[in-house]
Amino acid sequence: MADLFHNLILGFGVAVSPTNLMLCLIGALVGTLVGVLPGIGTIATVAMLLPITFGLPPVGALIMLAGIYYGAQYGGSTTSILVNIPGEATSVVTTLDGFQMAKQGRAGPALAIAAIGSFIAGCAATVLIAVLGAPLTKLALAFGPAEYFSLMVLGLIFAVVLAKGSVLKAIAMIVLGLLLSMVGSDIETGASRMSFNIPELADGLGFATVAMGVFGFAEIIRNLDAGASMDRDLVQQKITGLMPTKKDMMDSLPAIGRGTVLGSILGILPGGGAVIASFAADTTEKKISKNPEKFGRGAIEGVAAPESANNAAAQTSFIPLLTLGIPPNAVMALMVGAMTIHGIVPGPQVMQKQPDLVWGMIASMWIGNLMLIIINLPMVGIWVRLLRVPYRLMFPSIVVFCAIGIYSINNAPVDVILAGAFGLLGYWLIKHDFEPAPLLLGMVLGPLMEENLRRALLISRGDWSVFITRPLSAVLIAAAVGLLVLAVLPALRKKRDEVFVESEG
Amino acid sequence: MSDTPSHEPGKSIMPKWVRGPQDFIGGIALMAVAVFALWASSDLQGMHGFSFGAGTAPWMFATLLLGLGAAVAVMGLVQDGAAMQAFSWRGPLFVSLAILCFAVSIRPLGLIVSGLASFLISALGTPETRWIETIIVGVLLTIGCALLFPYVLGLPMPLFPSFIAQ
Repeated sequence: MADLFHNLILGFGVAVSPTNLMLCLIGALVGTLVGVLPGIGTIATVAMLLPITFGLPPVGALIMLAGIYYGAQYGGSTTSILVNIPGEATSVVTTLDGFQMAKQGRAGPALAIAAIGSFIAGCAATVLIAVLGAPLTKLALAFGPAEYFSLMVLGLIFAVVLAKGSVLKAIAMIVLGLLLSMVGSDIETGASRMSFNIPELADGLGFATVAMGVFGFAEIIRNLDAGASMDRDLVQQKITGLMPTKKDMMDSLPAIGRGTVLGSILGILPGGGAVIASFAADTTEKKISKNPEKFGRGAIEGVAAPESANNAAAQTSFIPLLTLGIPPNAVMALMVGAMTIHGIVPGPQVMQKQPDLVWGMIASMWIGNLMLIIINLPMVGIWVRLLRVPYRLMFPSIVVFCAIGIYSINNAPVDVILAGAFGLLGYWLIKHDFEPAPLLLGMVLGPLMEENLRRALLISRGDWSVFITRPLSAVLIAAAVGLLVLAVLPALRKKRDEVFVESEG
Repeated sequence: MSDTPSHEPGKSIMPKWVRGPQDFIGGIALMAVAVFALWASSDLQGMHGFSFGAGTAPWMFATLLLGLGAAVAVMGLVQDGAAMQAFSWRGPLFVSLAILCFAVSIRPLGLIVSGLASFLISALGTPETRWIETIIVGVLLTIGCALLFPYVLGLPMPLFPSFIAQ
């Protein structure tokens, strides 16, 4: 316990330095700004803003990125409530009740409760990270290559089970990602693989490049299909009375509590917890509510629960990254990219060798959440005005901004072309109903998986049974197989599809 | 990289026995990528003894993808599925051209020319563009980026065409 407080104090000491506070604030602000734009999700936002953190010292850069991440999340909910267009997958369910509330002239309370819920969830998740961080790091030290490999298999299976649509196609996307990650130099022999003597490919495909292509450019192209004047149901009423009433608070507090718990648990699991957390929280609220018919008609619990859940999950998803070095979802994968650029290899060693960095970031998460409440509530008016910018002006700006961003990562024009190619690939994937998120996760985990597989087999002298004879590894593999079986079982499949269908309705 | 095959939008060019064209074509394309990867990594060393060669992991993943692609394609045969979705040409074409233009011109022409040109090209991607406002916004955005990236963020990039800057 003393350790915990000591760590938190160290963290806050780092985070409240004026520079870092400033960076956290800028990150949260810019993140919200971009996240508010409809059609740009969290992944694209983080990928797009990655370059602006390059010039900073590592701690500052990570604090700013974390701020961008929450900002983007929060911006996404603002869009769902005010325009009925979810800025990103995690706020899909928020649109159901949030937009109805806005139509009834209660946009203010809806936005406020989303912020308050996120803040409460954020506080709980911060404490959880601090509590679980140290013991999990110790566990991580007991992990050998076989365990790491099995854990990553489990994580990928999670991503598959939680992805929308066909399990088979999601697995195919992961494997495509793994294959793409093989491009470049082999880490052990240095042999150049599938790079066709193109010098820019010798280092492999950068995943910021791929992410920007598949999530940024592809989304833009897809949106253009529908016509630039997207159907925007922008709430016309003036937003008055931000503060929720006492009854609102009483109604939503238990929902926030449940959402937080659900989100924290689902977030730790590798494989994209935030999305499923918000769905699960909404479904739970409906199930236990005394009058479930009010959901979809502007129930404040329908905003409070999913918003707290997705924020809690967004934060606890840092746990596997910081302790095991395994990114549980695509945004965390980008974080790994950012850390690598600053010469930090995420994993158990970071916790021990650079405690100021880890704890500074954890503390800044809490501060970032607080800032979101403070800056967002008074700035709602500005966000609304931003939403009125027509898409025909917005999309060329995004294209140029993304292009500059990609170029600035390596000062390589080839990267920009590659991102464009991946944009077309992403467009094609969308048209064939393939989910791009598992692809990105596969791409990040590919080199890690290969390395650990190689080592495990080298240690066992080529004996593949090592993955099931080492107890910890066996448990992880068994969990992965069990999950996969469950996912393809007809009964559960139907349930899972229902959850997603509901969200689209 | 996979070439993104573009199919005639909407028209049912598929024979009747393809019950889910979307999955069928998708699966075939994945198989093509896998075969291409197998060919591209065929010159790499495979397993020697029990230790991995440089080509082992690519071979494993490509083979896996080949199988999965085949499975997706088969699903398109045995299960009624979605039809091909319409591909449009205008958005993809001009956005790609804009990206290409930026990549080619950033070094020789600098951020100001290159950024504005890309902005205007990508604006061609929709018929709804109104040129006067687009040009105004484009110029403002270019100025903003020219201040933001090199000065505020300190990222090195040429601002002006190299023949002027010299």
